[in-house]
Amino acid sequence: MQVTSPAGRDTPDPAPAPRWARWFVAVYLGLFVLCGVAGFEAWPLTGWRLFADARQARQPGFQAVTVDGAGRETPVPFRDLPAGYHGDVQVLKGFAGLTATRQAAVCQAWAAAVRDRGGEVAEVRIYQTVTDVSRRAGDRGTPPERTLRFTCRPGRPG
Amino acid sequence: MIPRRLEGWLFAPGDPRRLAAVRIGLGGLLAARLASGPYPELATQPPALFRPISFLRLLDRMPSPEAVAALQALALAAAVLATVGLLTRVTLPLAWLAALPLVAMTSSLGKVVHNDVLLLLCLVPLLPSPAGAAWSLDARQRPAAGRGPAFGWPVRTAMVVVAGAYCFSGLAKLLHAGPAWVTGGNLRWVLYAASDTQPHPNPYALFVADRPLLAHLVAAATLAVELGFPLVLWRPRLAWLLIPAVLAMHAGIGLTMHLNYWAMAATVLVVLVDWPALADRLRPTGRGEVPGPVPAEERR
Repeated sequence: MQVTSPAGRDTPDPAPAPRWARWFVAVYLGLFVLCGVAGFEAWPLTGWRLFADARQARQPGFQAVTVDGAGRETPVPFRDLPAGYHGDVQVLKGFAGLTATRQAAVCQAWAAAVRDRGGEVAEVRIYQTVTDVSRRAGDRGTPPERTLRFTCRPGRPG
Repeated sequence: MIPRRLEGWLFAPGDPRRLAAVRIGLGGLLAARLASGPYPELATQPPALFRPISFLRLLDRMPSPEAVAALQALALAAAVLATVGLLTRVTLPLAWLAALPLVAMTSSLGKVVHNDVLLLLCLVPLLPSPAGAAWSLDARQRPAAGRGPAFGWPVRTAMVVVAGAYCFSGLAKLLHAGPAWVTGGNLRWVLYAASDTQPHPNPYALFVADRPLLAHLVAAATLAVELGFPLVLWRPRLAWLLIPAVLAMHAGIGLTMHLNYWAMAATVLVVLVDWPALADRLRPTGRGEVPGPVPAEERR
């Protein structure tokens, strides 16, 4: 039996695949296409939004820093922390919408992770930033404009 | 239900070896991902940082380290068995089901991670199929299977999923950003930002970002490849162009942004390349059969 692509002019009559298989494929591909076209997230079905937004040169963001007893600020090294801490961008973006208790718990978690690495944490500060990536200083971007939004003083456990 | 022409193509008979090759490739890929995934680390995540997706919303924190270890062992063992084709009808669905919550954990940090999603979605049509009918331990106890309708649709459904994933990715760019994704500075700003967040400036990202015309060309090529990827289903010979283009796109993303999409690229290769035809071409049978283009979906 000749097999052709969907565009083939001599597409043969459908082969006798079982009825359940036809329904299975129809429902599955229907849901797959629906999510893809409409952008629905019904994981593992997805809207496939990969780099879908057009970025501007001025990019808003957030930065979390720890502050030691002497007042020195150090960015929280999220990339060097365990995988469970790598959602920092999304957590920071939604930080303002969290309850005060949840905000404190997030700060506590970050402080504990930094302390586990030997860092001193008296305070956690969260800055809102605007970075103009088109302004370059050699191979690097210029530092972002920062506005302090939140400060928390996570306690030491026990 | 499905347009007749598409239905005729989807449900035409297929080669059990092609289905077996997809089972081995995707099963092996799943096993590799399960063996190397960050699931034990994710299991220790403080509950305050948990941003669950899908069915993980039923939980208020990541599954416990003990549950994750058990699930990972089960999923990995089942994936290995499915790859070698032992009790395939059971082990392949078991591997998929056990892998699902583990992979969901990686997307429960606030953002969907698409790397393993394509692999999971391409495995779905194989789950109820006779994927162990050839090139498997199961098949050693049975007579060799010939071409049949049961072996065609699982592979072709997976092919539609691969093609659709890239096409919808391009469509999302058009819908959310419009032509500005190509005509604006979008790609330059993405690449500058990516370089700036890396410990050292990224020469590949900066090479493109510093050249506006090149950045526009790369963006246009990316969009064209993504939106045009389904053509590989209509014109199988285009696989020679589109598969290397997609692999180059993933390699470029890896080089410039240090984002690792190798599982997605490998899924494309496993599903869209006709491995039995490639094997036949490399090892002529001497029966006078002339194989078609290797990446093509079927030989005429």
